[in-house]
Amino acid sequence: MAAVIRLSSVCRRGFKPLLYQSALLARPLVVVPKHRDQRHLLAAQIHSSQTLYGGSDSKAASLHWTAERVLSVLLLAMGPVAYLSPGPLIDYSLAAALTLHGHWGLGQVLTDYVHGETKEKMASAGLFLLSTVTFAGLCYFNYSDVGICRAVALLWSK
Amino acid sequence: LATFARQGVCLSRPHHNLLYRHAAPMGTTAKQEMNKFWDKNAKLNRPMSPHITIYKWSVPMMMSITHRGTGVGLSGAISAFALAALVLPGNYPYYLDLLHSLSIGPYLLGLTKFGLAFSVSYHTYNGIRHLFWDVGKGFKIPEVYRSGYIVIGLSLITSVALALL
Repeated sequence: MAAVIRLSSVCRRGFKPLLYQSALLARPLVVVPKHRDQRHLLAAQIHSSQTLYGGSDSKAASLHWTAERVLSVLLLAMGPVAYLSPGPLIDYSLAAALTLHGHWGLGQVLTDYVHGETKEKMASAGLFLLSTVTFAGLCYFNYSDVGICRAVALLWSK
Repeated sequence: LATFARQGVCLSRPHHNLLYRHAAPMGTTAKQEMNKFWDKNAKLNRPMSPHITIYKWSVPMMMSITHRGTGVGLSGAISAFALAALVLPGNYPYYLDLLHSLSIGPYLLGLTKFGLAFSVSYHTYNGIRHLFWDVGKGFKIPEVYRSGYIVIGLSLITSVALALL
């Protein structure tokens, strides 16, 4: 039978993070007879194989995750553009990107801290309302007032 | 054995090898499992185990919650601004002049600018740090601390520079 060294006896307690340390030392050691190696490797492969997990084939969560990162990069790129060539196009793009980034970010916060069917539904509805109003307000500001880029410039010239 | 340790697989009971050979996919999603956890514990009226009150705080922990805090704060500020734009009469320059006339004083002004600039800078720089993690880079503990200190340093420098503009 495979003998296993318990995690607690292997992990070093209270290690100093600033000192350079080999990552291998923090991992649990498994002492295993040679002939079992093949099966363990297979197990590791099965564990990491995405298609075998989950009851449904939905990639919704994964796609959402990717979309969040794509939006973040987009928003990052909008910064210099807003500074170098301000105007209505970047104003509206910023309004959309900021609102969506905030909406998804707050969504993650809700997922982390709000639990229970009804509470989750109510919080999501509230968030949706907030984001809608935010986007509407920003668009209105862009349309009938100075616009986001100009507003930041004016604020800073104070 | 060396390659195996590197994969970091830990088995607590030997006969699990046999189960993995004929592994069947789980019938529930991660979200369902998490909901089951919370439903069960709420129904049993269990108190929450102490965590942030007893666990020793670390720089990565503080940076993580600060990232969340700045994100929520900035989002709130943007929403408040948007709401104000919809509800308040008058336009933006009018309210700016109103603020001007309050003669707030350079230090308070500078402090507010610094606060705003720091939130945006920190959230942006730490956001980039997150994106590096998202592509799988920089997870070793020394790297986490190193990138963390770089983010803090850059944020402070940028915010001071912006506040002094």
